[in-house]
Amino acid sequence: MSDVAVAQGVETHDAHAGASDGEHAGHRTSLGLSNMKLAMWLFLASECLLFGALISTFLLSKANFITEVLAGNPNVTSTMPAELIEEFQAAGSVEPFWDIPFTSASSFILLMSSLTMVLAHKAVSEDDDLQTKVWLAATALLGSTFIAGQVYEFTAFYREGLTYGGNLYGSSFYTLTGFHGVHVSGGILMLLSLLFVAFRGKLNSSRAETVELVGLYWHFVDIVWVLIFTIVYLIP
Amino acid sequence: MADSTVITEAAHGAHGDVSHDDGSHAEHAHHPTERQYWIVFVALAVLTAIEVAWSYAGFEGAALVVPLLSMMAVKFLLVAGAFMHLYFDLKIINGRVFSWAFGFALLLAVIVYFVVFAAFDSLPF
Repeated sequence: MSDVAVAQGVETHDAHAGASDGEHAGHRTSLGLSNMKLAMWLFLASECLLFGALISTFLLSKANFITEVLAGNPNVTSTMPAELIEEFQAAGSVEPFWDIPFTSASSFILLMSSLTMVLAHKAVSEDDDLQTKVWLAATALLGSTFIAGQVYEFTAFYREGLTYGGNLYGSSFYTLTGFHGVHVSGGILMLLSLLFVAFRGKLNSSRAETVELVGLYWHFVDIVWVLIFTIVYLIP
Repeated sequence: MADSTVITEAAHGAHGDVSHDDGSHAEHAHHPTERQYWIVFVALAVLTAIEVAWSYAGFEGAALVVPLLSMMAVKFLLVAGAFMHLYFDLKIINGRVFSWAFGFALLLAVIVYFVVFAAFDSLPF
């Protein structure tokens, strides 16, 4: 009797879990988080290692680059225009190269996109269809603006003489910021996919966790930029 | 008190004693409000403005780098804690242990970074 009751209980629970899985991103683990959310956190942890390696490489190549420029090593100084090298030597850093006001505006735009992302998640959790579409679209638009700024910045740097293959400093800079740009672009595609689902009327509170997962990825990309902005641009 | 309630709810959710929806609501009930999100955003914007102003203020060496890295760390924690709900999720998974593990891993990573850069004589200060 009790076995039957237990079996029925298990069946009922499994049926509920199955139905729930269809609606939600996945059932909860013993940690209290859903499988999907835990998987996203593990993925982001692996991304930390990737960007950690890229930032470390950039910092080491920057220190080496400045040392060689100040020492007048022709193998390094010949890879960039003479006027630029003279500016670096006069300042003792690559600081004159950056357009800090422009990059600050880009940083502000990306921070703002994190706000619109959490507002989109809040709206979808409350089944507010209009607000969900507005905030998702705003996040994608702000992300696109950031990418447009990065394309402009890369073009300007290239014209001034910082090329990808010229020296290790240029390579590590473009690899680091380029990888970040690719991640932002990937996030924009995810946001547009969510927007498409929303316009088909299939994005509601039962899928709030999907929006939250995209949000986790988006905020991670924002955090990486917080690090890049300070370490690459503000610290000479 | 509030923490123990959250932990109890999470434990029940893990054993299937409550429905998934209940667990989900327990999570969302402890996410920040819209007003709190705006406050965090304003704090991030102000910190970014201070960072930029500090970089133009003419400081050099540790006087420049330490405040910039400190402000960067605060921004990191604000985004991860509030926007990524890490602060709230760590509560749900009963995470004194996980909080300490996360903090320890972060501290270890920072120490390893400084050791590596010191080894290459590349510390920024």
